[in-house]
Amino acid sequence: MQKVFRWASKWWPGLIPLAVMWGIAAWTNTVPVETDLSARAAAAVKDTVLNRTRITVAGRDVGFSAEAFSEEGRRAAVVAVENVPGVRLVDDRTRLVPEAKPFVWNAERDVVRVTLSGSAPLPAVKGRLVEAARKDLGGVEVADQMGLARGAPPRFEAAALLLVDQIGKLKDGKISVSDNTIHLSGMARELGGREAIADALKNLPEGFSVANEIKAPPYVFQANKDPVAATVTLTGYVPDDRVRAAIATAAARKFFGEKIVDNLKASIGAPASFGGAVVAALGALSRLSTGTLVVSDREVKLSGDALYDGAAADIRAGLGKDFPKTWQYKPEITVKPAAGPVDGTVCQQLFAQVLTKGKIRFETRRANIDPDSAGLLDHLIETALRCPNTDIEVAGHTDSDGEDSFNQALSEKRAQAVIDYLVKAGLPAGRFTAVGLGSTQPVAGNDTDEGKAQNRRIEFLVK
Amino acid sequence: MPYLLSFHWGWLVGSLLLGLAMGWISVVQRGNGTSKVVARWLALLVAGLVGAASARVVPGRFGYWLDLGLVMFACYLVGCTIGAWLRHWVVSRTQPVPEAS
Repeated sequence: MQKVFRWASKWWPGLIPLAVMWGIAAWTNTVPVETDLSARAAAAVKDTVLNRTRITVAGRDVGFSAEAFSEEGRRAAVVAVENVPGVRLVDDRTRLVPEAKPFVWNAERDVVRVTLSGSAPLPAVKGRLVEAARKDLGGVEVADQMGLARGAPPRFEAAALLLVDQIGKLKDGKISVSDNTIHLSGMARELGGREAIADALKNLPEGFSVANEIKAPPYVFQANKDPVAATVTLTGYVPDDRVRAAIATAAARKFFGEKIVDNLKASIGAPASFGGAVVAALGALSRLSTGTLVVSDREVKLSGDALYDGAAADIRAGLGKDFPKTWQYKPEITVKPAAGPVDGTVCQQLFAQVLTKGKIRFETRRANIDPDSAGLLDHLIETALRCPNTDIEVAGHTDSDGEDSFNQALSEKRAQAVIDYLVKAGLPAGRFTAVGLGSTQPVAGNDTDEGKAQNRRIEFLVK
Repeated sequence: MPYLLSFHWGWLVGSLLLGLAMGWISVVQRGNGTSKVVARWLALLVAGLVGAASARVVPGRFGYWLDLGLVMFACYLVGCTIGAWLRHWVVSRTQPVPEAS
């Protein structure tokens, strides 16, 4: 041992080159050691869910800052870094992600973009929400302004993903989640969008309450009567094909001289009693010379020219009572300028023209005039007004079905009913005579339904 | 420690070789070495540095450099010891055994 101490006393000169080597080693290895440890530490916390992870290394000491989503996760991450081989000290600057109270998440849509804001509970959930929004809204910019926070309600992700799906159905609007309360506002992109969203919200996870204030675009039905083209064009929406068929059938009965052009589309979202209201409004339109009917949600606008003053007043007053109470009726009826007077011969021709295009309809085997014939009768009244100095015989005809006496009586009653209608409209009763001819003057064979239909008629004869 | 050894093995082997050479020389070198007082002060200094390194009181890069220096120094000492023993063994074999008078 003595020898060792003696030798050791002569080892000091080697310390000089050793110090030089130490200096060079420190100079060349510091940065590689730091880089290596930084990479190892990052790899160690790779699988831990953290936010804003930052690892700095000085020598072998690691400065570790991150936001964890749970205390367990935070501790596990720190231990993982401490256990990295080569790490000497860990400066633990980790903390928990702040807790949001209330936990708010928003999805807002305007014309050009969808903005996701508020808080998401985890980075992965945040990513999935953005992904879902991009997928649902192909082509629309998705702006991610979400932060991260703890305190999300249970099953938040499922609810938020379902809500992101609904954003695509909005033209503009906002969906927000505040703890367990969901609020939706804005305008649906399409008719039926509001109902589709309401249906989808039924699948929300348990525990969420919903305030749905989504508005739908107006449910519009439009009919335009063009006397020049002799068309009635139906555009807009109807609830389904059944209502569409009912409207088309009613229109064909009410408009006697015009072709019905059906450009309707079926869509859900119609207000209640839509079909009945539209049919009633079409009846009013049929009495106009030219006009437009617009049914927008629960508002009915009818504009155009009535054939005479009495008709205008009748249309203004009468239509409102056919609609449900919550509906609004806005008639803008003017009166067509009266046509010049004509003599009896021309008047006869005009009656014949009108009655060739359409027929006055009655209830089966009765003398009650079908309201669908109001338009036709208005035209007859307008014609009668043009030849005020003539007397007119109104003749009723029936087909050959039934007894002759009944037919004769029925034809006379129907002729009288027409005269009553004309008198009620303001024409002098003295100008008209009712004649019932039963089935004595057929204009077609009574062996077919078509022939019988032609024989059932009212004729106007100018005396 | 294993990380330090594996990462800097080249430098540590260098220190060991330097120590071997120094130890080899020290056995036959004439002249006085460090005095006992200086040696004690040096030992105290090294002990202090080892203590500081063990307690990890020196932060950051300085702490790393201290650890590296001490490990290299340890390797140097091991090299010196082995070198000196080897040289002593070689010398003692080649020297004729003094005859008893």
